[in-house]
Amino acid sequence: METILKKERLSEWVAQIGARATVFAPAFADGIWNFCAVAADTKVEFDHGNTVRPAKGFVFPQREVLYRFRQESGKAPELMETLPAAAPTVVFGVRPCDGRAMVRNDKVFTCGFNDPYYQARRDQVVFVGLACSEPPSQNCFCLSVGGSPHSEDGLDVLMTELDGRYHVKAITAKGREIVEGAAALLDKAQAADGKAAAKAHADADKHPQRALATMEKVAAGLKEHFDSPKWDELARACIGCGACTYLCPSCHCFDINDEITSNVPLTGERVRTWDNCQFPDFTMHSSGHNPRHDTGARLRQRVSHKLLYFVENHNIQQCTGCGRCISHCPVGIDIVRVATEVSGQ
Amino acid sequence: MNANVYLPALARIAGIEEETRGARAIKTFRIEFPEGGGFDHECGQCAMLSLFGKGEVMISIASAPAVKEYKQFSIMKSGRVTTALHDLDVGDVIGIRGPYGNQFPLDQWKGRNLIFVGGGVGLAPIWPVIQTAVANADDFGSITVFYGARSSSDIMYKADFEELARKAIVQLSVDGAEDGWKGYTGFVPANLMDKAPSPDNAIAITCGPPIMIKFVIQNLQKLGFADEQIYTTIENKMKCGVGKCGRCNVGKDYVCVKGPVYSWAELKTLPQEY
Amino acid sequence: MVAIEDIRSRAKELLEGGMVRAVLGFRRSSAGLLAEPTFVVASEDVASLVWDATCVHNLALYLVNEKKRQKAERTPDTRPLAIIAKGCDSRAINVLLQENHVAREEVVILGVSCEGGGVVDTRKLADALRGKEAASAVCDDTGKVKVATASGEVTFPAADVLADRCLECTIAYPSVSDTMFGEKVDERGFTARFAAVKSIAAMSEQERSAFWDGHFERCIRCYACRAVCPMCYCDECVVDSTSFIVSPMTTAEEKANRIRWIQRSTTPADNAMYHMVRAMHLAGRCIDCAECERVCPVNIPLRLLNTSLEQEALEMFEYTPGMDPAQPSLISSFRDDDPNDFIR
Repeated sequence: METILKKERLSEWVAQIGARATVFAPAFADGIWNFCAVAADTKVEFDHGNTVRPAKGFVFPQREVLYRFRQESGKAPELMETLPAAAPTVVFGVRPCDGRAMVRNDKVFTCGFNDPYYQARRDQVVFVGLACSEPPSQNCFCLSVGGSPHSEDGLDVLMTELDGRYHVKAITAKGREIVEGAAALLDKAQAADGKAAAKAHADADKHPQRALATMEKVAAGLKEHFDSPKWDELARACIGCGACTYLCPSCHCFDINDEITSNVPLTGERVRTWDNCQFPDFTMHSSGHNPRHDTGARLRQRVSHKLLYFVENHNIQQCTGCGRCISHCPVGIDIVRVATEVSGQ
Repeated sequence: MNANVYLPALARIAGIEEETRGARAIKTFRIEFPEGGGFDHECGQCAMLSLFGKGEVMISIASAPAVKEYKQFSIMKSGRVTTALHDLDVGDVIGIRGPYGNQFPLDQWKGRNLIFVGGGVGLAPIWPVIQTAVANADDFGSITVFYGARSSSDIMYKADFEELARKAIVQLSVDGAEDGWKGYTGFVPANLMDKAPSPDNAIAITCGPPIMIKFVIQNLQKLGFADEQIYTTIENKMKCGVGKCGRCNVGKDYVCVKGPVYSWAELKTLPQEY
Repeated sequence: MVAIEDIRSRAKELLEGGMVRAVLGFRRSSAGLLAEPTFVVASEDVASLVWDATCVHNLALYLVNEKKRQKAERTPDTRPLAIIAKGCDSRAINVLLQENHVAREEVVILGVSCEGGGVVDTRKLADALRGKEAASAVCDDTGKVKVATASGEVTFPAADVLADRCLECTIAYPSVSDTMFGEKVDERGFTARFAAVKSIAAMSEQERSAFWDGHFERCIRCYACRAVCPMCYCDECVVDSTSFIVSPMTTAEEKANRIRWIQRSTTPADNAMYHMVRAMHLAGRCIDCAECERVCPVNIPLRLLNTSLEQEALEMFEYTPGMDPAQPSLISSFRDDDPNDFIR
């Protein structure tokens, strides 16, 4: 379903949705772009490159309480399940790389064992994507990892900026619902509008991006050069922080810990938080043995997970080419260069 | 099992056996589910034990699948949760979820000679296989169990070994010389070479400290065992148990789902990150 | 002006003479405008070394990291490491020397004076360029910054694009070095020292509390600030789930009884606790390289916390960290002539 929205009516549309759902849109605050909750009278404009934090937090928040526990001394513990009562949420301005990451996150959280916390949030969130007219960052490489500046994967709606208006395409049932619900604001797209959107997409594809060899070549190269001394060389400057993975739209590793609120009676929460393969304690056994004991092994894990292991399991790369890990690395470690140099492709 | 994969069932500690003492003491816990609760498991599978306020720990199930009334876990004191488990008493209630992971392919081993090689607390994951094999001895050829510990007081399942010796060939060893010790003196891989079991129609199953596994596998290869004839079970830090948290990830595998049981032929294709 | 050729030729001498195991310096990065750290081990690679206003990193950090790396190696190369150090970086080296974390003979310091300039702040630069990408940034003698973009060169006044720490810096030349490049320039004439933190101090307590709550709330606890800090070298940190000094002798009880002072959860309280603990541990040690603030992906003004304590140390105890490795450390020393009577 394809419609047209005049730019000056964007805020109106957002406000209309805001009456039924919590709406987030990119906003510039404290020096960074982030998805921020839109208040009723906020004027929404799309002027962002990409947000610093990816959209994954809407379905996989950095902190999630799994359940609460309570135990009187000498008695059996009681558990109180705390599945999120997720409210309907609509997120505007999601870049296609973050949308495609959602497809990857679905594979992790809903295949095999279904993760009820992820599912509860996923069911309630609508991702309204915004096609990129030019790469939001100099480190974008979506075209090299099977994506594009206008990919629809994982998005419910895709908006494309045209002259003075947006081409708004509903992709999923959830997307159709919010588009149909605003029939007064959105006009049916004409054939010419569809052509204009297609041209905008084609123009966007022409912008130069960072380049990586094909999925097959990179995966084969990484597998062949698993023991390459280049991993240590390239990771020698790595400081072992977690900026790359916490800002990654598809990194999904987590930790589970108990947080006690009272000792007698014992009460507390079992909490899941994002975790990070770049931290040394991530793999350290209680014996002190650490299977990935240095930054070289940990860089290899991050890059190989994205570009080799995930390919072996799902036949798609986990990386969607947003470039955040490159732009935000304190020391310039660059997944495109690392994968290229190690794989020899 | 609970619809919410992270939510444990509650179960009662019905018995605690002190296997070994010292800084890394081992205790065996017998866990009983309330009427109608619990789950069935296969040899080699694990379960996530919960101590509320402390956390969770993935432990291999040491009782045989045929035993339905309870599950047994032999746990070495090592970190936050295991230390707290050691402080529990019979009657205390803990959380448990599972079973997780794959299993030893016992049905593929019918008619073959089974050689078990265990060290330290690494006997626990292969114990259910030993138990199942001896209970179905007619299905298999000879059954040999190599087991080594630091000293005779560090040998676990002492009472069971007497029983086992009637049904299987038992080769015990201790690392250092001891007065009155009748078994082998030296490390497990050396005892294995000393007895030199034949690889013909045999399957070797090993578990123990990483360094022991490494030399056991080398020695099995020297004895002529093919990679497909060698099985082990690997351990990595785990948090979720359901292939999502990424902690136990080795190459393309999440050990909690694809493992912990691997033939050496399979394990060789994974990075040595365990 | 510092000529990069001079640095390269000294680096080449050191490597060819086998006097150092590597020269740690800066090179161009594929990741963007800023230079990136590089370990040059082959003398023919010295040509990759660069020196300009994009060389922001405090490489003293790697003295700590390399020490850990060497410990893990079977046959470590024990020759010294040559390191390119700006004024602030050299003060970090002095603190590491003072705390006996490294020995003087383990390091060959190629000190570089920032003279009348400094390094760029990429956020300021992005604002100044309004979306255009900078391809290079160089300071001239007068403190102006020349920035090349695809559509030509733009020159900005230092105050518009240099890092705050550089604008407030009063000692922009090495405090310790084996070879020094460039001139000592004492009159820099940008901003008064502590200008930024004084503006925060002028707020009411409630305003300041709200200011920090707002910032800490965004923290994602990636620990880039800790990881990039040369002074955050502990094997055991209150925020880690474990101590990294587990040996076969460490008992289960020791591991089990480790107190979790700060939860992993990114709650405002845990986040604030983390940052306050870090700041307190840097009192009298932070030399204001401001790397913590630069690397923060969510733009928390961490430098303000540290300079606030730096200001306290100066005003209460006349102490400036990193000036001399022989000086007693602030926290563990006592002076008869201390300006505070409560201490005497």
